[in-house]
Amino acid sequence: MTQRALHELRSTKVSAEFGIGKGYAPAHHGELLQGMFRDASGGLRRALVTLPQTTRGTRAVFRPSQNHWGVVGSPGLTKVRRAAVLALREFAGRPGAAKGGHIEIVSDVPVGIGMGSSTSDVTAAIRAVADYHGVTLSREELGRLAVLAECASDPVMIDDRVVLFAHRDGVVLETLGHRLPPLLVVGCDTRPGDSVDTDRFPPAEYGDREIGFFGVLLAALRRALATEDVALLGRVATASARINQRFLPKDNLEALLELCLAHGGAGIQIAHSGTVAGLIFDARSPDAPDAAVRCSARIEAMGLVLTTVIGAPPGGTAEERTAC
Amino acid sequence: MSIRTGYEEATEAYQLPRLVRLGPNLYGACFTLMKMIPARYILRRALAEGRLPADATIVETTSGTFGLALAMQAVHLDRRLILVSDPVVDERLYRRLTDLGAVVERVPAAAGAAPGGYQAARLDRLHEIRAGLPGSFWPEQYSNPDNPRSYAAVSELVLESLGQVDCLVGPVGSGGSMTGTATYLRSVVPECRAIAVDTHHSILFGHPDGHRELRGLGMGLMPANLDHTVFDDVHWTSAGAAYQATRRLHRRHGLFMGPTSGAAYLVADWWARRNPRALTVVMFPDEGYRYQDTVYDDAWLAAAGHTAGPPTDPEPLDDPTRADGVWTSYAWGRRTHAEVMSGVPA
Repeated sequence: MTQRALHELRSTKVSAEFGIGKGYAPAHHGELLQGMFRDASGGLRRALVTLPQTTRGTRAVFRPSQNHWGVVGSPGLTKVRRAAVLALREFAGRPGAAKGGHIEIVSDVPVGIGMGSSTSDVTAAIRAVADYHGVTLSREELGRLAVLAECASDPVMIDDRVVLFAHRDGVVLETLGHRLPPLLVVGCDTRPGDSVDTDRFPPAEYGDREIGFFGVLLAALRRALATEDVALLGRVATASARINQRFLPKDNLEALLELCLAHGGAGIQIAHSGTVAGLIFDARSPDAPDAAVRCSARIEAMGLVLTTVIGAPPGGTAEERTAC
Repeated sequence: MSIRTGYEEATEAYQLPRLVRLGPNLYGACFTLMKMIPARYILRRALAEGRLPADATIVETTSGTFGLALAMQAVHLDRRLILVSDPVVDERLYRRLTDLGAVVERVPAAAGAAPGGYQAARLDRLHEIRAGLPGSFWPEQYSNPDNPRSYAAVSELVLESLGQVDCLVGPVGSGGSMTGTATYLRSVVPECRAIAVDTHHSILFGHPDGHRELRGLGMGLMPANLDHTVFDDVHWTSAGAAYQATRRLHRRHGLFMGPTSGAAYLVADWWARRNPRALTVVMFPDEGYRYQDTVYDDAWLAAAGHTAGPPTDPEPLDDPTRADGVWTSYAWGRRTHAEVMSGVPA
């Protein structure tokens, strides 16, 4: 059953011990906006604004070894090992610094559907190594190291504000606001059972016209955050999702959007290099919880798989539905 | 957080409009010189792409504010500029252009009577000049897609400052500002209404070509940059109606703008009052200084027969080719020019 697979824990063996480092990083549920933007010097940079998903994430444990260089872990964790090695290099020369070690990962972030499993793993691993050395890395430093380890990273480590993040450069281009307005997002997988290999997925080639659109969408998003305008935020996310149809189309995007709008929702957000999509509602609206429940049922009736509900209101009817 | 800083150059300072509230649901986008947006974007882009080397001359045909914007930008880029104009070029504008170092060529008065009028004669002369100047750069405001594209900056400002805009009103000439701004606003608000303001005997939206007293909007030739499918409605205003509305804008709001702004204000004020729930933005392309001896002079207005105030409502037309009336309107319905002319229903 796909639903089970989605929630299966990816794990290597972890046992509690002293003298180890621990790290955690949350997941996300795709983006509110992704494209190419002009930076302060007029250059073009690929960048995105992530929709955080804090109820899922990755825990990493670093167990040092003075006997060998490098980091060992399960063969599937290439990026995680690379991240841990990079982190070790940062601390080389400190008294008590580890030469190498073993990294273990426990994660409930689904892989290959655009929920940031890779960055979550990598960030948790870097934090675990830092933790062993008694260091708390800044969010910006974490972002830089994560991009070094995996070439493109989502800003899951920058959890204290909403940023436009250049995911291939590992830098924050702009802080858009302190936090997102209260959202209720019903997430689903638009292609259950399918996955996108983000490492092999070619970067989108945007035209001048599209680059113009991205600047306009960013301006609207700034306002949406400053004025806590969920309707405007939904419009921005929808526009970004529609532009992405040229690169990684989601067959049911318009149907999901129609469903969302018919239930008083604000719009739809997607993983631009994944398969998840989310129906956005204003969590302050008294109708939102019911609308979310009704949309969840319709989404399942469409043959799609629910991934999550972000920002479920107290009482949590919607949250329970996906708790399995 | 960001702090306020100075502008790098005058052309940067001039480019964006001030958004000024004119009513409960109406904002004016007040430009000092709207054409600075495409002029600056086109030239800077050409420079960045190596199409405007140090020895290149910029050549353009214009008798209006696009030339002024080019001349200001040419000063900052240290490039030669030749503008091909006609005898009706405004004398004050001519002096300002030449002071900025532009060479202003005026085609002979006789050319105005030839087929195609001044516009055709100016284009012929432009091609002649360019043939003798290898490597010259022609900004081509009427067909260069960078013209509408440059207006993304205005849409950014409007959306960031005002949020979801329901209606955009503005004068149409080259088609760049309205086509560009509306298209970019619609990336966020697809249903945003776009209302074109034109003048009688401009061919842009179906009128037969003829004498146009109101200058700065409307055209005798169809510009490639005008995308007709952007527009929901078209309004045509006479010179007199536009002039009176220009004065009303000044008296009511203290905004000292030119007559194309007046024409746009007439339409936008009417539409916004009839649609009180719709947030409306109107484009005011330039200021009133060039019109102090005309539009802003009561004696001149009286002598020209422009003392009557504009009607309170436009006359809606079933036939967009009807070029009479003081203030007329037509439900264009986002159709192509060909669709409207062949009677395809909206």
